[in-house]
Amino acid sequence: MYALPYLLLGRIHKAAIDARRKDRTWKYLMWSTVAGTVAALMLAIGGLFAFMLFRFGLWPLGALVVGVMVLPPLAGALIRYAIVPTGWYRGAYWAGVLCRPGADAPAYGSCVSAWALARRPSNAGEAWLAAQRDARRPLGDAEVVVTGLIAAGRGDAVTARQLLRSAALLVENHPPVRELAYEWLAVDAAERGAWIELAAEVEANAWPASPLAYLLEGIAQRRTNRPGAPREAELYARWLLAPYRTRTLALLRAAPLAATTTPDARDDGSTHDVVAPPAPAPLPAAIAAHLAIGRGKPTPALLAHAVGAWDAALGDPATHAWLARRALELDAPLGSVDRALRDVATGVADELARAAEAAALGAPGTRGPVGDGVTRRLRHGRLDALETGFARWAQRRHDGAVRLAIDEWREWLALRAAYDAAVTAGGLELRRLAFPHAYSTGTSMAVWLWNARQEYPLSHAISKWLLAEALAVGDAEAIELGHRNCRLTVPTRTGPHEET
Amino acid sequence: MRQITENPFFVLGVSVDASRIEIEREAQKLLGMLELGFAEVQHYATPVGPRPRTSEGVRAAVAALRDPYQRLVAELWARHAPPSTSEAAPASSAAPASTTGLRRGLGWGP
Repeated sequence: MYALPYLLLGRIHKAAIDARRKDRTWKYLMWSTVAGTVAALMLAIGGLFAFMLFRFGLWPLGALVVGVMVLPPLAGALIRYAIVPTGWYRGAYWAGVLCRPGADAPAYGSCVSAWALARRPSNAGEAWLAAQRDARRPLGDAEVVVTGLIAAGRGDAVTARQLLRSAALLVENHPPVRELAYEWLAVDAAERGAWIELAAEVEANAWPASPLAYLLEGIAQRRTNRPGAPREAELYARWLLAPYRTRTLALLRAAPLAATTTPDARDDGSTHDVVAPPAPAPLPAAIAAHLAIGRGKPTPALLAHAVGAWDAALGDPATHAWLARRALELDAPLGSVDRALRDVATGVADELARAAEAAALGAPGTRGPVGDGVTRRLRHGRLDALETGFARWAQRRHDGAVRLAIDEWREWLALRAAYDAAVTAGGLELRRLAFPHAYSTGTSMAVWLWNARQEYPLSHAISKWLLAEALAVGDAEAIELGHRNCRLTVPTRTGPHEET
Repeated sequence: MRQITENPFFVLGVSVDASRIEIEREAQKLLGMLELGFAEVQHYATPVGPRPRTSEGVRAAVAALRDPYQRLVAELWARHAPPSTSEAAPASSAAPASTTGLRRGLGWGP
């Protein structure tokens, strides 16, 4: 009598949560309300049933009903407010497994356990959780999220951020796991004040949002004045749905609740005559631009300005004339002028290339002794570093050195980050130069991981990235092979995955 | 930046038009004062702020300025650089205030 409506409500609850995960419109609030109402009904039915059993003295049966019917609707709140804060990682694991998160419950259990460990880190807990993770094969999003949350518990937010973001690259998709990972990323972005980054996630729509992440997204949209930002009433509705209302209320109040315009925006069409200051002589201008690069974080505009100023100064006849006159007055050896110009250009190019490298800037794109020098140094340095990294990765396959799948994944992520940084800075030209080596190594590693290690999602992620890069550089052979590899059915614990 | 921060003219605190005799005299004076620990010679001004002055630095600077080619290059930088300042360069603007402790407050921090 009680079980049938309860089971029906359980299905409705799950369907509402699943539907919510796919939406970021007003329907999110609707599905949340449905899920909340259904959970309350389930709780009422389970509670009434248990109460009647206790009333009739059937205590063991009543306790069983509490465990099976009363606790599941409360599982989310119990995990968040009662288990995780204590750092009880084993209890969190079983709570995650038993709260019926869908297919592959241990995946969610591991992540909830890692969440508890992130609250109260311990060496024993880390070892236990790592053993749980390594026992699960092949590597999927849950294992990556667990590793990311362990890193977060150690205080290594950079690694945690990189790993949690990388979970989206794997085709094995556990929605509750991703929801958890995204909540950490959203909270982390809010803590860093990275509202633009968070608002961009809304547009990418790559993650399912928990109520807390959904609220933070709304605040980010308001703070960055994005189109489609939620109105005040909707933002308060999100706040009501989200946990930790006292803490989030302060954030909510700090978010601008009315659209703002940038102070520079002028709508009166007025123009102002600007008297340009007299241009400084080329050499002082070049040195001033050089010092500006050294003072703060270089930007592409600053770098281009400094390079252009140096090339103009070193090619300026006035500089040559001054050097020639001073060389004569100082009784400098013959050829000192050319040597000085060469040495200054080399030294300046070295320093600017170092600054550009440190700030991951692209080549300046201007021609001249300094511009060419900076471009050459950047390109060679980046290509050499990339080739060394990829060669070392491939070498391990021949050495027979087998690492844990998560370590393979981390190495791949590091190489990919280095590749992305290099091609972002070096442009399409460097991308075309770097791709062949990445392609041959990446393909060979993807094949090895698929055939010899049965790490299907990992191999698929590499193949998918290689295909995207092949399309970017227009390599026909690589595109064809990439399509073939990506079309393979990937066996995962949540069901086989096929690229559409 | 080394061409500016370790420029012999700035290290010695002499004009780019100084003669060799003036440079040698200034170097001897600085070495003596450094040995006696005079506070006013412990730093020298550069366009990017003050730098610590050492006896080794003074000796290297005077040696560089004895070589006509090295003096030519040093002059190229020192003569055309912006004015020196004895005040430390301002620190880069502070990062926007972050919501510290939010991770913990929202159930994710240790």
